[in-house]
Parts: sequence; structure tokens; C-alpha cells
Amino acid sequence: MSSETGDQQRILHSRTRRLLSDGPEHTSRRTGPTGRIGSLLIATLTLAGCGSLTTPKPKDPEALAEYNEANDKFEPMNRKMYNLSMTVDKYTLKPVAKAYVWAVPRPVRSSLANMAQTMNEPIVFFNDVGAGKPRRAGDAFVRWCINMTAGVGGLIDVAKYAGYPHHDNDAGLTLATWGVPSGPYLFLPMMGPSSVRDGIGYGIDTGLMPLNYVPRGYGLLTFNWAYNIVNTINSRADRIDDLDNLEKDALDPYATIRSAYQQQRKALADSIKNDHRATVPDWYN
Amino acid sequence: MIISLGRRRLFGALAALALGVTLSRPAAAAEKPADFVRQLGSQLVAIVNSNLSPAEKKQKVLPLLQQDVDVDAIARFCLGRYWNVATDAQKTRYLGLFHQVLVNAITDKLGDYRGVSFTIGATSPVGEDKAVDAILMRPGQPDANMQWVVSSASGAPKVVDVVGEGASLRLTQRQDYASYISRSGGTVEALLNALQRQIDKHNTVASH
Repeated sequence: MSSETGDQQRILHSRTRRLLSDGPEHTSRRTGPTGRIGSLLIATLTLAGCGSLTTPKPKDPEALAEYNEANDKFEPMNRKMYNLSMTVDKYTLKPVAKAYVWAVPRPVRSSLANMAQTMNEPIVFFNDVGAGKPRRAGDAFVRWCINMTAGVGGLIDVAKYAGYPHHDNDAGLTLATWGVPSGPYLFLPMMGPSSVRDGIGYGIDTGLMPLNYVPRGYGLLTFNWAYNIVNTINSRADRIDDLDNLEKDALDPYATIRSAYQQQRKALADSIKNDHRATVPDWYN
Repeated sequence: MIISLGRRRLFGALAALALGVTLSRPAAAAEKPADFVRQLGSQLVAIVNSNLSPAEKKQKVLPLLQQDVDVDAIARFCLGRYWNVATDAQKTRYLGLFHQVLVNAITDKLGDYRGVSFTIGATSPVGEDKAVDAILMRPGQPDANMQWVVSSASGAPKVVDVVGEGASLRLTQRQDYASYISRSGGTVEALLNALQRQIDKHNTVASH
């Protein structure tokens, strides 16, 4: 147990220093790849050191079916991570996000959200290619080109009006389309709901993000930092109402988040798998 | 010869008619849930977009929910395996509480939106039910993809589930309840008390 507490303290320490790294995994890329992989490593180490923190399999067949449906072998540890994240969030990121909503007018906020989405488009593109979906990859590529130019560096989502609406993709979903099972559910500290597969995918995505390879000079590193910080606050602000409602409506918010996350990831993976549109755009036919 | 040909033609026409009827029946049945959802949706959207006060909106929405949503079926689904172990008294109490919780959850959100509109998409079968695709458009927010699951088991079409961005509301609720029950000693009574507390809390907040 002592090593486990030590690990948690380490996580608390390393994560509180970089608190501004909360947010939905598919839109936020904030710190360098080393930091990301480092935190993943710590999470994995914690996992490995917490063999005693797994839930024993129930004997009753109905309870067993429920256990399998939840797919949450590491529930005791995940709950600790969840509680820790929620407490830290309550006193740090949530007030910051609320102040941001109060101070920054909606058009500015949505422009920044558009920019974050456009900067993330290369990751979507690489994963569309990886998933073998050329039409989707083309959409992501065209979105990036249009929004970076006509959309003034991504601030305006022109591509949406040109018939290329945003679609999600990340390495966790790509692995899912390859048939990689999700593995047990994980609640990663300050990063939110995930799974073994999606956690690995998160590491891959960090490596795929061009912004993480910017050279020194030209203010690009500063831009990367500013981008990460703004994106984190922005994506947290988007979820203020959802999370507040959840805390109010759910008897067990942890289980509700788990259920919704798993269903949504499965639906996203299915929608990518079932996208059989022709590679050429509609106007070409 | 002429008569027999005429008969043959007649039989042929009848057979074609019969075939046509059988073929067109599933299509008609597939259209029905979409019409039902479109009608219910436009009624809801009209109330949401109106200038009524939240209390008046609630009054208007209640009859719609009673008529077009199979709350009892949703309640049974959400209790999952514990429905079979609950006593009759517990079932009655649970259904009453569930109705209130659901109504509170829906009516609380009515005031949040303005300028809402929606479009209806394709209908696909989900087991014995039909899922109707819909896209909800809200000003200043990204479009939300939803599916309305409609069951005709009770004779008339009724909504039994809403799927938002891939997550089924009733399944999420069932896992919420199941997890709460198993962490509170595995008794249905614990859930009933928690629901009661939720309703009491809602009423005190509303009265202030």
C-alpha cells in the first residue's frame, strides 16, 4: 500500500504543477510529448503497483454480467483518481473556466475553439489515413487548408460552410477500427475517462501533433504554450454545464461518466467503420 | 381460353397487389415512427422556443410526456436486474419516484434553450423498436446528433429511449443505478431513498 500512496503522491505532485492540462482528449494537445508520455508512464506504473486495487469478479451470474458490462477491473483505483481529479478541478480549473466565460465574450470563445479544432486537424487527418478512410482524410485535409487560409489561421470555421463539417478521430479510435479491444476502463488523473487502448492512443496522438515539434524562436514555443493553456480552459468551460448537471442528476457520477464514455467511444468507432462514402467528393460524380 | 387468360391475369394482378401490400407494409411502418417523432419534436420545440415562463413550460410539457413517453418501460429498464428482486410495494414506490425524477430532469432543462430547431433523418430497427435519427440545432453550440427510440409494443408509438451522441440515456441511467445499489449494500431500498432525497432537494431548490 505504501508504494501505491507514493505513486499517487507523485501523480498529484506532477499533475498539480501542470494543472492546466485537463480537457477532452481528442481536442486538447497542450504539453510536449515527453510530458504526456511521462504522465502515461506514471499512470501505468500506478496501475502495475495496484494489483490489490482491482475489483474481485463476482460469483453471481447477474452480478458478473454487470461487472463485465462495466468493464472496470481497476474500479477502486479509478475511483480514487476520479475523486482526486474532481477535488483538484473544483478549486483550480473550474473557477478559472467560469471566470473565462464571464470575462470573454462568446464570439471570441468560439473563435478560439475553432482555432483549437483546426490545429488538431492534422491528428484527425493522420488517423483517418490510418483507419483507411480516404474520404474522411480528405475532409480533414481540406478543412485544415481552408480554415488556415480563408479562416484566418483557424479562427473562423469556413470549411463548415463550404460543406466540410468537423469530424472526430484519434489514435484510440484508429486502433478500434483495426479491431484492438478497448481493454479495461481507466480514469486518468486530470485527463478524464479513458481506457488502456485510448490511453495508448493519446500517447500516439501527442506524437502526431505537428505543433509539438516547433523549433525554438519565432515565438512558436510561446504560441504552443498559449495554445495549450487557452485550449484547456476553453474545453473545460464548454463542459461546465454538463458536469454541473451530471453532479446534480446522477446518483453515482463516476459510473455515469464511465457508461457515457464507453458508449460514446463505441458509437464513434462504429461511425468511422460504417463510413463507406465514395472517395471522390459528391460534386465530382 | 379468353376466360382462363383473363383469370390468369386477374390472379396475376391479385398476386401482384398482395405482394405490393406486403412489400409496402414495412415501409409504411418505418415511416410511422419518424412522423411520430417529428410531431412530438415540433411540439416540444414550440414549447421550448416560446416566451412562456419556466413554470408554464413545465405545465405544457407534462401532458406530452405522459402521452408520448413510456415512462414505466424506461423505469423498468433502468432498474435492470433489481426489478425482479424488488417487492410489489417497492416497485410501485419506485415507479412513482422515477416519474418525478424524469419529469424534473426534463423540465429543468426547458428553460436553458431558445431558438432550437431539429431535422429528422433515417429510421433504423433496434431489436423490436425503431430508432429515428434527429439532429438538434442550438444557437452558438455545435449540432447534437440524437436518436429517438420508439416502441409500439403498447399499441401506440411511445418513446422508450433517447440516444445522444452515441450514449443511450436509459442505459447510462441503468448503470448509474446499478452502481449506486451495489455500493449501497445491494438493496433496492437504498436506491428508493436516494431518489426520494433527490426529489426533496429539487423541491427545496425550486421553492426558494
